[in-house]
Amino acid sequence: MKFKSSLILLLVLVLSFSTASVLHVAVKGSDYSQSYSAVVCPPTLNGLNSQISISSRKTQYQRLDNRSSKTIPFNSLRYSVVKDSLVISAQGVTPVVWQSRSGSWAGGTICSGPEASQWFSGGTANVTTKGRLMLANSGLSDAIVDIQTFSENGKQPLKSINLKSKSYMQLSLDSLAPGDKSLAVQIVPRSGRVNAFMIDEQGSGLKALGGDFVNPVASAAKKIVIPAIPNQISKTGQKASSVHTLRIVAPGDVDTSFTLELLTADGRFVPVGFNSRAIVAGVVTEFALTPKLSASSFAVRITSQEPIVASISSTVQIKGHKDFVWSTATAPLTPLTLAVTGLSPLIAFAGDSISVKVETKLVNGKTFASVIKGSDIATWRVPANSRSITIVATSKDTYAGALVSSDNGYGFIPVQAGSVLSKVEIPSSNIRVLNP
Amino acid sequence: MALADKHLVTAIVVTHDGETWLPAVVAALASQTRSINQIVAVDTDSHDASTKLISSARIPFISAPRDCGFGDAVALAVANLPAQIEGSSEWIWLIHDDCAPAPLALEKLLEAIQDRPQVAMVGPKLLGWHDRTHLLEAGISIAGNGARWTGLEILEYDQGQHDGIHDVLSVSTAGALIRRDIFEEIGGFDSNLSLFRDDIDFGWRARVAGHSVIATTEAVVYHAQASATERRQVDVAGAFLHRPLLLDRRNAAYVLLANSSWWILPWLAIQLLGSTMARSAGYLLAKLPGYAADELLAVATLIIRPATIVRARRDRKAKRLVSARVISAYIPPRWSQIRLSTGRIAEAIRAKVLPVSESATSSVLDSLDDEDLLVPTRKYQWRNLLRNPEVIGYLSLALITLVASRNRIGALIGAALPPSPSGARDLWKNYFESWHQVGMGSSHASPPWIALLAIASIFVLGKVPFLITFLFLSAPLLMMWSAQSYLRSFSKNTYITVTASALYALSPVSMASINSGRLATVVVLILAPQVPKILKSWANIENESWRRIYGLSILLAVLNSFTLLTVLATLVIIVIALIRDYRLKLTKSLFLTRIYKRMTLVIAPFVMVAPYSFEALARPARFFAEPGLSIPGGKTNLVLLGNPGGVGSLPWWILSPILLILVVALFTSSSARQVSQYGVGFLSASVLISGFSITVHGNGSQSVVWTGSLLVVVTLSAAAAGVIILDRLRSILIASNIHYRHILAALLLLVTGVYLVMGIGWSIGSGANSPMQSNLKTVMPAFLTAEADTKTLVLREIGATGSKTIQYYIARGGDITLGEPDVAPGQVREIEIAAQELIDGSGISSSQIFAAHGIKYVFVKNPFSRTVIRTIDGLGGFARTSATSAGVVWRVSGVTGRLIFTAKNGTRSILEAGEIGARTTVPGPGSITLTETYDRSWQILENGYRLDRVINEHGLPQFAVTESGEISLIHDGTTRRAWLSLQLISWALIVILALPAGRRKREISEKELA
Repeated sequence: MKFKSSLILLLVLVLSFSTASVLHVAVKGSDYSQSYSAVVCPPTLNGLNSQISISSRKTQYQRLDNRSSKTIPFNSLRYSVVKDSLVISAQGVTPVVWQSRSGSWAGGTICSGPEASQWFSGGTANVTTKGRLMLANSGLSDAIVDIQTFSENGKQPLKSINLKSKSYMQLSLDSLAPGDKSLAVQIVPRSGRVNAFMIDEQGSGLKALGGDFVNPVASAAKKIVIPAIPNQISKTGQKASSVHTLRIVAPGDVDTSFTLELLTADGRFVPVGFNSRAIVAGVVTEFALTPKLSASSFAVRITSQEPIVASISSTVQIKGHKDFVWSTATAPLTPLTLAVTGLSPLIAFAGDSISVKVETKLVNGKTFASVIKGSDIATWRVPANSRSITIVATSKDTYAGALVSSDNGYGFIPVQAGSVLSKVEIPSSNIRVLNP
Repeated sequence: MALADKHLVTAIVVTHDGETWLPAVVAALASQTRSINQIVAVDTDSHDASTKLISSARIPFISAPRDCGFGDAVALAVANLPAQIEGSSEWIWLIHDDCAPAPLALEKLLEAIQDRPQVAMVGPKLLGWHDRTHLLEAGISIAGNGARWTGLEILEYDQGQHDGIHDVLSVSTAGALIRRDIFEEIGGFDSNLSLFRDDIDFGWRARVAGHSVIATTEAVVYHAQASATERRQVDVAGAFLHRPLLLDRRNAAYVLLANSSWWILPWLAIQLLGSTMARSAGYLLAKLPGYAADELLAVATLIIRPATIVRARRDRKAKRLVSARVISAYIPPRWSQIRLSTGRIAEAIRAKVLPVSESATSSVLDSLDDEDLLVPTRKYQWRNLLRNPEVIGYLSLALITLVASRNRIGALIGAALPPSPSGARDLWKNYFESWHQVGMGSSHASPPWIALLAIASIFVLGKVPFLITFLFLSAPLLMMWSAQSYLRSFSKNTYITVTASALYALSPVSMASINSGRLATVVVLILAPQVPKILKSWANIENESWRRIYGLSILLAVLNSFTLLTVLATLVIIVIALIRDYRLKLTKSLFLTRIYKRMTLVIAPFVMVAPYSFEALARPARFFAEPGLSIPGGKTNLVLLGNPGGVGSLPWWILSPILLILVVALFTSSSARQVSQYGVGFLSASVLISGFSITVHGNGSQSVVWTGSLLVVVTLSAAAAGVIILDRLRSILIASNIHYRHILAALLLLVTGVYLVMGIGWSIGSGANSPMQSNLKTVMPAFLTAEADTKTLVLREIGATGSKTIQYYIARGGDITLGEPDVAPGQVREIEIAAQELIDGSGISSSQIFAAHGIKYVFVKNPFSRTVIRTIDGLGGFARTSATSAGVVWRVSGVTGRLIFTAKNGTRSILEAGEIGARTTVPGPGSITLTETYDRSWQILENGYRLDRVINEHGLPQFAVTESGEISLIHDGTTRRAWLSLQLISWALIVILALPAGRRKREISEKELA
């Protein structure tokens, strides 16, 4: 045949193509290493009591100043911390810390891994403050931390702090912007494995005015939701219901305006004066928020043209003494597990359409599931004998915060993951990195 | 004769197997206008009819032994002459049996001496025996290197340009007229000079004895130079092995050493030795080993008998009347020797490169009858130049290249191309050194392209970056030129060949290789068309000369130097050819001839790039690697369309017509089918290979093989097939009605046109922003490069946005340069794990591992994940030292460096270490750890003894020190030097074999010798 060799060659080409396609060793994509990084809990300052809720007695921990890699188990589900920060190998369960000063105040926060940036909208630096900013370096190298403070007088000079490895330090809030009333603080670790915590404690002379943890947010955003704000309604024997104060700052260089929307059991509305309210960039501004609400908690959603950081301070009375609660913004709800042993928080979910499946694990090991549904805001009380709750599934754009009351005071805990699964790409060796 | 002739002339004819020339000689003597007073012949036992001829001419002759030299023969004749009468003017006229004087010769010689009583010797103008316009000599001298100096060019035409009477050092004995009394006074010719150079020696001695030597060009003698041109055997005593050249060179040295002033003897000896070596090398290059041996033996025979020289100098001193410096005026100045040599070489090259065709010259005698003087002269129109398709093609391509390369004016970096070192010295260093300071160090053989690049950079004064930029910028034009020179053999239609060549230069593989800095593919694109051009008859390779085979071997070796894929391709083609030859049932001799020639084409180039090629046998991935960084090629479906893919390649939607042309050509009846079969074969191989991934050149992860070099052949085949089809098709389409051929041709042209427009558009648009650009950025910050050769683990996120991967490598005090990725070692497993744990935060011992391997810093190049930076901060053993816009640097804790001394008590300290070798002092007994990859060539010497070497737990070389003292760290490069010697020898051998062979004088025709 005239074209026999041509046909054979064409066949060879087709076979080569097929073989190459079949045998093609797909270039392996990147390999990843997944692990839960250790979380750090705040140290216990003088005069305070501190308990950490853990979900398992086998959970390993070590004191912050322990330079070895050895860890030990808690052997209990609620652990009292004497002084130092603890570094906990939480393995996906976020421990919760509850601190209190006897007969004065109480507050909670979550233990979390190191963050690239933390914003604290709360605290004061005037004569009433006894507040502290705590910085913990859980890394084995020294850390450098930048502290940028904003107040009603605008942006303050940047402070840089050197922090030795495996140590923590506390700063008085009044040292950040002496005399200023309204603070918003950004913590940016330049190096090191740094966590920051803020306690806002106030008093007038010997009279305690209450205190609380100011929980951090990772970054300023154009849309924030503060999902759980306690709202004490005046009852017989109580002088007044809660007073809410919105503290807000636009840390950028451009002035902005914001709109605040209340999400309540009574519906969703914008209070008078909170529609397109202007604020000056870099200046911490406070607004009194006095909604007439029937529910014991509500949420707010703030939208702005520029990124903002905001929180709400609410006054409460417990056992006849005054306390206040800093309710802060939280990240959108994702599947997570929160250790709640010893606490029986009221969890408020906020969102347009709420549908959250929660699995509760009791101290006796039994578990049960609950589904919380609603719109704007829905609350759910965690049973008293629970050791952990797990958000199994959640609707989109849903936020959650926990409100805890105790004899010493009232506190807000953000419902978000502190122990996060970090996925790190396994590096490959390639001389190409040395080629510009 | 105008004046009264008072001279008595005796002609002495010396014969030795001269029957060829003797009749003419005898006739010439008989026809002299001034009759010879007497003729005497001396026959040195001729084996031919010489004596018969002499006898029949009635010339009395004296018989002498066969090994009697010319001088001895003349002396014998003179001795047999009657004693000279006191006061008479008696002359002897020396006549060789191969020189015929013109009728006026003797008369003119005597005229010249008429008013010159100081003249002892007068010589004629020597012309060629066959070409009697060829000027051989008009007086002679000797150069400092022993060369016989005539001051004439090769085959100089006699136009009277040298006419006149000249004072000279000497004249040839052929036709020389010598005063008998002076001849006898200075002892005649030196008996040590039996043949050759006896004339110069005699003239020299006559000069220092106070006499004069002249050459008169009015006297003419025709000389056959039978002995010098090996027309007869040299049988004289002392002519070792009967080799004229040997005797000539030996005698030349003898003349210089015996006659020169003593104080210039050392300089003369150096010149003689130098010229001997140079001439030997030249003869070897010309494949004349016999002549090369003659040169060496000539000097050797003289050296082993120094007494001969001493005696000769003593004799000359006794008869010297004037200073030896009188002859300096007759020794040719060095510049004139150089000028003449340069002129000869230039003329030889010109004759080779630009041969003068017979028709190119016209004689004034040519008829001008046909020329109409009334027809106006045609003026050259410059506009016509722009109608020339070649001019249009090259100008257009140059313009496109210029626009597309607007970001490439300067030192090029990017994609596969690392930064070039500033000078060729760095390339040579990389090539010659046995140990490379890359990563943890390697002893891999440097690829030969580094040496080729270093050689090429000589032409740009060693500026390697300029060379690389020039290569990439001019590559499209060079590709087009190369392709066109090949495609011309398929069509005389310049429009077709220029278009096809331009398409070759703008092909997907061309654009991709330039845009991604693929040095090898660019070189292959330029050189590949020359392979089929040189090897015209692959099927009947026996018709190709061995010189051509070796020439092609050199070309293939150059290609192998850049990519060993050429070896595989050649091997496959040869195997296919062998199978075909076997099936053809050829005769055994023909079959073997074909095997030898074909195997030469694979073995010789393979050996010429050893040891790089041999190392590839142990690491087969190297066969598929290209110079520079390992950057992945494209997917199989892209390769099928002739596009190699990868960064900088044409997007998939710009379809080249390559596959279409090849498939169409496969089913044609013309030679396009055969050409396309090669193309489809190579395309199949490219497609198959594109399915594989390799790990080479310091890249720990697998990369898809780049098939660009194979696709070059595919593209070239498609271009050639297209030319053949179009060349024939035009006439067929014109002559036939519209049918499928018209549609197919239209489709082919449409696809090609669309590709060309889109390809050029992309090339000058997005293509110009491809990774390879002129770039002055660096990876390593300046403060990390301050400490030379400090190991730094560099972490970087590489890749396009969204698909970035974290990669790392160990830097040795700076960024990499050209050639270093090719010898880069793979990563040490222990370091791999430590780096992995560094990133994921579990690396408690990472710093210890790094310190053990001499890694002093960890550098994270920005932009990089803040999380990972915090993770490293959180690990122990890393102290952050800086955080700048360039990135973050940590210092690894612990004592670390290149040479770590561990004392008996476990104390570690750093010893001074050089770049590769080092000389330093150890404080006491202990151990020395060298933080380089283990290699058997690492040695440490202390007090003249080698220290015991072991591999430590980290796989590093460790040496046991027993006492304090000075130590020397060396990497023994003997093996590398041996390989390089082998490589040099193989190149020299193949180049010599490829060069045109010189001919022995006896092989040169009479016509050429004139």
